[in-house]
Amino acid sequence: MKAVSTVLLLSLVWLGASCAKKTQPAAAVDPNVTTRGSIEVTARLEEIRGDLIDDPMYDYAHVMKYKVLQVHRGKVDKDVIYVGHYNPAEPRGSVADARVQEIGGNVKQFRVGDVHRMAMEVPIDDHYMGGVINKYFGEVNDPVYWAVWTDRAEK
Amino acid sequence: MTPRRAIWALVVGAVLAGAGLGAQDDRVAQLAREVAGKGWIVYAARGDNGTWDLFLMRPDGSERRNITNTPDFEEGGARFSPDGTQLLYRRFAKGTVISHDLWGFQGNLMIAGPDGANPVQIGGDREFPWASWSPDGKQIACLTQKGIQIVDLQTKTVVRELPRKGIYQQLFWSPDGQWFCGVANARIMWTVVRMNAQTGELNIVQEFQSCTPDWFPDSRHIIFPSRPAGQDGYGFTQLWMSGGDGQGARMIYGEDGYHIYGGALSPDGKYVLFTRCAKDGGGSEDSGAPICVMRMENAPAIAGASEALRKVHPDAKEAVTLQLVEGWEPCWTYAEIGVGK
Repeated sequence: MKAVSTVLLLSLVWLGASCAKKTQPAAAVDPNVTTRGSIEVTARLEEIRGDLIDDPMYDYAHVMKYKVLQVHRGKVDKDVIYVGHYNPAEPRGSVADARVQEIGGNVKQFRVGDVHRMAMEVPIDDHYMGGVINKYFGEVNDPVYWAVWTDRAEK
Repeated sequence: MTPRRAIWALVVGAVLAGAGLGAQDDRVAQLAREVAGKGWIVYAARGDNGTWDLFLMRPDGSERRNITNTPDFEEGGARFSPDGTQLLYRRFAKGTVISHDLWGFQGNLMIAGPDGANPVQIGGDREFPWASWSPDGKQIACLTQKGIQIVDLQTKTVVRELPRKGIYQQLFWSPDGQWFCGVANARIMWTVVRMNAQTGELNIVQEFQSCTPDWFPDSRHIIFPSRPAGQDGYGFTQLWMSGGDGQGARMIYGEDGYHIYGGALSPDGKYVLFTRCAKDGGGSEDSGAPICVMRMENAPAIAGASEALRKVHPDAKEAVTLQLVEGWEPCWTYAEIGVGK
């Protein structure tokens, strides 16, 4: 009888813990990434071709290759997409400037293998006027996305 | 070498160097006399009030006068209409840092008489970006996110639109109206391109670290600054020209230690204007840079020691340049405007 009571008690404790876990709020998602742009994905940074230039005299966007893990908003036709990040040597939190004012995020550094949750637009030319480093030019004809908001995400 | 011979060699060297400088001075003085009566140069510079104002001067630097003198605004990017009867420029809020890359997107478009009289604001803040004159001065071409827009100045309406095809700044309409030039993302960024103004067909003029293009009076050649690869470290920006079809690119002027911007031709194409700035970008964020005049027949020319540059261009001539006041984005007309004011 004592053994049964113990099992019952443990079960109740486990159930209680389980229920408590379910009622905990999920990790908050930055509303900037869920509302800005017309497309929202979680994607893994697969490749950065070329060096990220850090030249305060000149602004540019650098096109990077991503593997799409989840599409949250909008339509994305392919698993692999090419995304232009503005002045990528800068942390996203301080990258907005006179040329590009409505961008940001919490990514401080772009590293291959990192997973990002991004709000985006496409094509880049409709949303950004400036230099673009696209090392995939002539090799890939897919439209280039424009990163509006870039946050870190769980791998 | 004995001490006596060494001293003699120094004396002879100094005399020869002095004679060389004297000859150079004579050539510069001759150039000044030659251009003195050839119309006017408009340019932006810091006025006595500390803000950017527009100035007129003779091409030898004489008869300089402030034609805006607005302590509550900054002005720059002035361009004479092809017939020299109008002036187009941008006016910025006081204290605005004029970006060497973004200035065509900044502030308000203004149109005035060639002497700055009767300035009229065209549109609102940031409207009519990168406006440049049509051949008859009745329209402007603008570079917007949507595309290249041809705007009728009387009605302020867009009468025609073309895709911009990667052009992102510094759009200029050719004197014959047949072409645009600009800076674009083509195969790579910072590429000077030419676009057919009717069909929108685009061709590459010069790739790699080239910008700020402008037209020769013949509408067949383009002048642009370029910072070629292969230089030690960051390198220096030189002034180049090319056929609009991308053929025959060659250096006009270079000088190690200085970045050359603001390239513009005299209306007959015989002289070239530029600025030489120790800092890259042309100096719009500060106080500009010395404006220089050179004969096109002197090109390609190199100034200063420029040892590395002379190795790349062994046939370049010694530059004979008339250095004028500090300024930014000069433009030249042969029209006689406001003489005696």
